[in-house]
Amino acid sequence: MSTTPPLPPAPALLLRYGELTLKGLNQDQFISRLRRNILRQTSTIAPVRVERLYNRMLVFPEQRTEQIARKLQHVFGLKSISPVWIAPPTPEAILPLARAVFLDALESYRGTPDVGSRVVTCRVETTRADKRFPIPSNVFDRQVGEHALANVANIQVRLDDPELTLGIDIRAEGAYLFARRLPGAAGLPLGSSGRGLCLLSGGIDSPVAAWMMMKRGMWMSFVTFHSYPYIGEPSKQKVLALARNLSKWQPNSRTYVVPFSACQEAIRDGAPESYRTVLYRRMMQRIASKLARAHDIDALVTGESLGQVASQTIENMTCIAAASELPVLRPLVGYDKDDTILLARKIGTFDTSSRQEPDCCTVFMPEKPVIHGDLELCTKFEDALPVSALVDAACAGVELVDFEAEV
Amino acid sequence: MRARLGRIAPAPDAPLARARGISSTGVTTPFVYLDHAATTPLDPRVRDALLPWLGERFGNPSSRHKAGAAAAQAIDAARGEVARAIGARREEVVFTSGGTEANALAVLGGARARREHGRHALVGPTEHACVRECVQALAREGFEVETLRLDARGALDLEHAAARLRPDTILVAQMLVQNEVGTIYPVRELARRVRARSKHALLHVDAVQALGKLELDVVDLGCDTLALSAHKAHGPQGAGALFVREGVVLEPLVHGGGQERGLRSGTPNVAAIVGFGAAAKLAEELRPRHAHALQTLRTRLVEGLARIPGARAFEPGAPHVAPHIVALLIPGVPSEVRMHHLEELGVVVSAGSACQAQKQSISPSLLALGLTPDESRTLLRISMSRTTTPTDIDTLLTALAQVEAKLAPPKR
Repeated sequence: MSTTPPLPPAPALLLRYGELTLKGLNQDQFISRLRRNILRQTSTIAPVRVERLYNRMLVFPEQRTEQIARKLQHVFGLKSISPVWIAPPTPEAILPLARAVFLDALESYRGTPDVGSRVVTCRVETTRADKRFPIPSNVFDRQVGEHALANVANIQVRLDDPELTLGIDIRAEGAYLFARRLPGAAGLPLGSSGRGLCLLSGGIDSPVAAWMMMKRGMWMSFVTFHSYPYIGEPSKQKVLALARNLSKWQPNSRTYVVPFSACQEAIRDGAPESYRTVLYRRMMQRIASKLARAHDIDALVTGESLGQVASQTIENMTCIAAASELPVLRPLVGYDKDDTILLARKIGTFDTSSRQEPDCCTVFMPEKPVIHGDLELCTKFEDALPVSALVDAACAGVELVDFEAEV
Repeated sequence: MRARLGRIAPAPDAPLARARGISSTGVTTPFVYLDHAATTPLDPRVRDALLPWLGERFGNPSSRHKAGAAAAQAIDAARGEVARAIGARREEVVFTSGGTEANALAVLGGARARREHGRHALVGPTEHACVRECVQALAREGFEVETLRLDARGALDLEHAAARLRPDTILVAQMLVQNEVGTIYPVRELARRVRARSKHALLHVDAVQALGKLELDVVDLGCDTLALSAHKAHGPQGAGALFVREGVVLEPLVHGGGQERGLRSGTPNVAAIVGFGAAAKLAEELRPRHAHALQTLRTRLVEGLARIPGARAFEPGAPHVAPHIVALLIPGVPSEVRMHHLEELGVVVSAGSACQAQKQSISPSLLALGLTPDESRTLLRISMSRTTTPTDIDTLLTALAQVEAKLAPPKR
């Protein structure tokens, strides 16, 4: 067999939708939302052109195709992404390209650990969206196999769970050939499920909670409470670094930094010590809901997990959420810490969360926080405090920090 | 020189995000900077000297055309200034990226080059992390490492050091000025003991905190290598130097182009090195006058602190203490809280050394100095330079009194 000329880089990326294919009549809205998100998420890397096919989308990057493909793995609503080579939808055009794509993929796969020159299992998988293509899929699979795989050493056809699959997606517009399927982020397109405001601390949980809601299509903003001068600028920078980490998954994001020491001082000096933590958090809910209402946000999101710390008992969660004017979503409520850590690693926030920075000054911590808080007592203690003045002052001092899509 | 540096800009945000609105750190407050042991402001004369090398003047000092020769000449001139400032000869100065690299080159390169003479290394009790952790790396390479000791006053225990020195000791690393508390260690006396007992030993001195503050003479100190950093003496960040006494052999850490006598390959940072030369020259010219002024400021500060209830200056090894560093102990809240309260009032000091503050851990040096973990957590470092004025000190003292009143435990 003569040597095949080297394969040029894939000119396009074929995107397969995730859950949104189930969405019937709204599908069009979902897809145009997804398309907009794709354009915005990739805009910091290279210009792309997007084409809609039936049930698929094609992205043509001007350059940096591989980097765009990795970026698309962070766009919610996609099941998988394949770099594709395109041929006219005729057997004569497909066959030589199929061989080139297969050999390129095989060479690359042999470079991965523990593969080398051993026998590699493979198959061809044709789908015909355009049934006018003259050859049935399973017959064409065999023809391609005979041509593309001819005289290739140490390969073996296996239909069930092969190591390499040469995919051929034949449509009226063209035939799309691919050997890789990169997993997408799944979920729903961002912005298709309203807007949320996540209470972001420097910890592990809250960024994961924000990500889970993003995955369900909720556009996230962040709010963090900064008790300067009890803690310093580096603590704030840590939270902003988390917001920036999460901007990998959202084309842009806004963080509201709320000055919080006046609230904490007032509660420390004017309320019983054991209720401090619950009262701090009720104050946070009030401020967050006020900000949310002012910025057309529909819900608050927290990283609370039932029973994880003293403020997350069912009684205390009830006391805390009662101060919110908006629904409080807690996607981690049933999660174990280990599950959350696994996700934090996966989404890229764990290392930032692990950075050692004080997130609350020890002078504000009660020695023995209440475990089973009582809502009536909370409101009674708050009657002695200038609650609305504190909330207004905190909101007036808010600093906004915006991030563009993170690479 | 002006003591005030203008405004606290939202600088930390800038690379991270576009910040809008009013920063919680108070965008418009002018501030008093009293953290000169962390870094010093660039002297405008230094900036003037280095800026052409970030503009119209450029060249690779290794190039054999005239642009290269001009850069080589500029570096050589800087080398002369640094050498003069420490009593060395020009050929004995090796430029590095900073104090950390200079220390690493001496400690790692010095020990590795002496393997056949022994494997025993001695390290000072309160070294900077960049020396301490290099020595730990040596221990992992099979060297036997021992730590020197302080006596009850916090001075270096020379008798203990003499007893630990052996014929197979190949490295002694001892800093000159302690970066967290300002103790000046008797390096000269240590050197004599090293020479008498360990003929193969390399004596390395970290003098990063001493340039421009103490009279530095490498011959009188009797060391083999000595590390310096430009930005601790009103020079730019990104340049440092290692004095390597003639005849002393080191194994390079970075291989390649053979720059800096083969001890530090890589195209040098010409602009920063030119700035270092200018900074070293100024530091030495201005030192006699300013060392005296710093001493007066230090006295003013220590006396003022004595009037604040509970506060005391921590001065291990006194009276051998550098004129520009005062360590302050006040029981109560962690130093970081006190530091941010002072910052809010426009006064910038350090809660422990900058690196330690990031790690949130307790400095091993402070524990070696006999402080309890609780005391270590409350230690504030106030450090001055030639730009510090008596008004700065008075502003700090007033602010500190205000902060103490606010942080006093609330009445129940």
